[in-house]
Amino acid sequence: MSEINGADAAGGPRLGGVGLSKSFGPLKANDRIDFAARRGTIHAIVGGNGAGKSTLMKILQGLQAPDAGTVLVNGAPVVFRSPNDAIRAGIGMVHQEFTLIPGLTLLENLILGDEPRRAFGAIDRRVAGARAAELADLAGVRIDWTLMEEEAPVHMRQAVEILRLIYRGADVLILDEPTAVLAPPQIRELLALMANLRDQGNTILFISHKLDEVLAVADEVTVLRTGRVVVSRPAAGLDKAELARLMTGEPVTAPTAKPATPGAAVLELDGLGTGGEGAVALEDFSLVLHAGEIVGIAGVAGNGQDQIVGLVSGLMPTLRGRLRLAGQDITQHSTRERRALGLAYLSPDRKQEGLCLEASIAENLIASHQRKPRFGKAGFLNPIAIAGYADERVAAFDIKCASPQQPVGALSGGNQQKVAMARELYDSPRVLLACQPTRGVDIKGIAAIHQEILAFRDAGGAVLLISEELEELVQLSDRIVTIYGGRRTGEFPRGAAAMERIGRTMLGEVAA
Amino acid sequence: MKYLQSALTILFPVAIVLVIGAAVLLAAGYNPLTVYSDLMTEAFGGQRRIAASLSAATPLIFTGLAAAVAFRVGVFTVGAEGSLYVGALMAAWLGFTLTGLNGWLLAPLCLLAGAAAGMVWMLPPGLMKARLGIDEIVTTLMLNFIAIGLTTWLVNGPLLAPGAANSSTPQVAEAARLTRLMPPSTLTTGFLIALALLVTYAVWQRRRIGGYETLVGGLAPRFARAAGIDMPGLMLRMLLVSGAIAGLGGAIQVLGPIGRFVAGFSTGYGFTGIAVAILARGNPLGILIGAVLFGGLSTAGATIQLFSDVPIEIVNILQGLIMIFAVADFGLRGWFARRTARQTAAEGGQP
Repeated sequence: MSEINGADAAGGPRLGGVGLSKSFGPLKANDRIDFAARRGTIHAIVGGNGAGKSTLMKILQGLQAPDAGTVLVNGAPVVFRSPNDAIRAGIGMVHQEFTLIPGLTLLENLILGDEPRRAFGAIDRRVAGARAAELADLAGVRIDWTLMEEEAPVHMRQAVEILRLIYRGADVLILDEPTAVLAPPQIRELLALMANLRDQGNTILFISHKLDEVLAVADEVTVLRTGRVVVSRPAAGLDKAELARLMTGEPVTAPTAKPATPGAAVLELDGLGTGGEGAVALEDFSLVLHAGEIVGIAGVAGNGQDQIVGLVSGLMPTLRGRLRLAGQDITQHSTRERRALGLAYLSPDRKQEGLCLEASIAENLIASHQRKPRFGKAGFLNPIAIAGYADERVAAFDIKCASPQQPVGALSGGNQQKVAMARELYDSPRVLLACQPTRGVDIKGIAAIHQEILAFRDAGGAVLLISEELEELVQLSDRIVTIYGGRRTGEFPRGAAAMERIGRTMLGEVAA
Repeated sequence: MKYLQSALTILFPVAIVLVIGAAVLLAAGYNPLTVYSDLMTEAFGGQRRIAASLSAATPLIFTGLAAAVAFRVGVFTVGAEGSLYVGALMAAWLGFTLTGLNGWLLAPLCLLAGAAAGMVWMLPPGLMKARLGIDEIVTTLMLNFIAIGLTTWLVNGPLLAPGAANSSTPQVAEAARLTRLMPPSTLTTGFLIALALLVTYAVWQRRRIGGYETLVGGLAPRFARAAGIDMPGLMLRMLLVSGAIAGLGGAIQVLGPIGRFVAGFSTGYGFTGIAVAILARGNPLGILIGAVLFGGLSTAGATIQLFSDVPIEIVNILQGLIMIFAVADFGLRGWFARRTARQTAAEGGQP
């Protein structure tokens, strides 16, 4: 994909900063950051969690004022007092959460706030439509502008988010992890769209931790680590291993999986179905998970994964089909009863469901185990036993914290997820339902979490892995099942899983 | 840090109220310093007055606790007032009916029956919340009106004391009365029961599995559910416990200071209890302080107008202001959380 790199036509500096610093208490989120994105280039900002990417973006958008240093626009120092100042300077941002409004068409969303008018204030839809078509042409994407926001596929909505900024006159686009919600073919489309916009003279700040995508599309790369710029250089000549080393400060090796030795069936999903209330309905979904294997579920977000998670965890009532865990019918079992039979559940929503952020690390570690004899008797909790257990888990999972008594919300994303993992893997569960296990986790944390999942499998555990990161699925899964529109569309054993083929079945093509 | 935080969250609203109250008093032509010192003297100056304030604080400890146990798991009940009434009437009825029993049996029986009545009163809203997800604020609020109406009707009809003109039951048997701690003050062993309950609550909160499950259930209900905690069942149980505590509080008013059930005897104890619970942020010591504060204000308010020209309305205004500011969060908790997060982040080398 490297043919879309192209820094030749680059101009002078469009957006940058000198000595940008921002502290929160003793924490230096940004520490004397210098960088310059040149006009007509794609400038990638990469770094792990807590590297300072989001603080830098907030400064560039005028949401936060730097403690020291200056933002440079076209090489001249400016002070952004509010986001409006940044917008006036031609800077627009696309966040991970989209801001389009449901109930309006894509065209209405595009022109919202700056509608072309006819006499008496009526919206001139003809002019608007022509302008929209022109924008889509320039960007080289196909968009059905008449679709309602909620009916449009996610990649189309994202393209509208981007084009809307250009419509409003922005020529500097900040894209925050834009590929997180897309399947591989759509990712290629998005990267091509970015290259097109770049070739027309726009400047793109591409925030990402996906190294392949950065190397495929970026002209220049600024690597941040613990609030500082490690390097800011042309992308040409960088490779993935080198970039990973720059991000983490040390070589990172992805854990390699030994071949699985599947045992007896432990979790059986048999013809599961849900009623569809607005969401995608799961239809006749069957799957058998064996001890000692990892089965991955691949699909674009919102194609039935949430329903599988809800039904297996017991958080959603089963309407059709049966579930068996370790030979027992658990279709009507509560979450507590399922956990007692050996189900562990790593939630995709770490902040709301996976952890209780205001409670301490120790309190989070005993959740779901609080009634076990180790932690007390006759309804009383034993604080000494709990503290001993917490210390043991913190050490075993290398959780970086001041003490197990500190609130879990004070930890970084990776360490928070390790707390959740440490809890779920305690007391030898049979099945781990792992959903988005590395969402919002930096590259080192990812390696550690993958290692834990593989170790659990090697010890005879069964893992049902649901992830939007295809690379993660391919790397960990012994089998991959693809899902589209609530139905199974294919199954791929380890090795045979060519990303591109999986990608097509994720978009609805049924595997032969 | 932790103690400083709880102290600040309780005292900060009080301090603000003192400033605003001073402005109100000045505008009304009083010297705020004199009024405040008079209030302090009337509330806590001397043994007799302290006893009166603690006596007034007793029902508020019960209703404050009743609110706190339910709030802890995220059930926002306002039904303590209703449970208090039905608990009080139940205790009074047994107290004047079973006159043959001796004191060691009758008083505990009346108290238990009061608690049971208060608990049963919370059963319908509890089931509606747990099974059907019906909002508990509406149901418990409406049940208050029903409880007040029902008890008033009963003591005006079937349970009216023979020959009495006002709406009240006959006196309960002397054997059922709670012992006065400092006669002639109305402070009774009921206050000791309240303290014992506070200690039980403190231990439960920190050491019992139920204390843990309600903590995480209140802070993060989805997390609790995913951890296998039966949230609907827990909410129902805590609402029942809340009703039982309020009912016990009502029974203690009857067997203690009043001696019988009088229609409309509560001066809004159930609602003041909500303010106490919120002011204390669920902290047991905070509930005690809050209850004594409001108890002291009400006794001082009642007497201050006898000895000065400060109208009782001024005291009511102060009370109302404290309630308003008790509910306001001031972002103090958020501020503390951010501060601690940053500190620990720095100490732990995070993120």
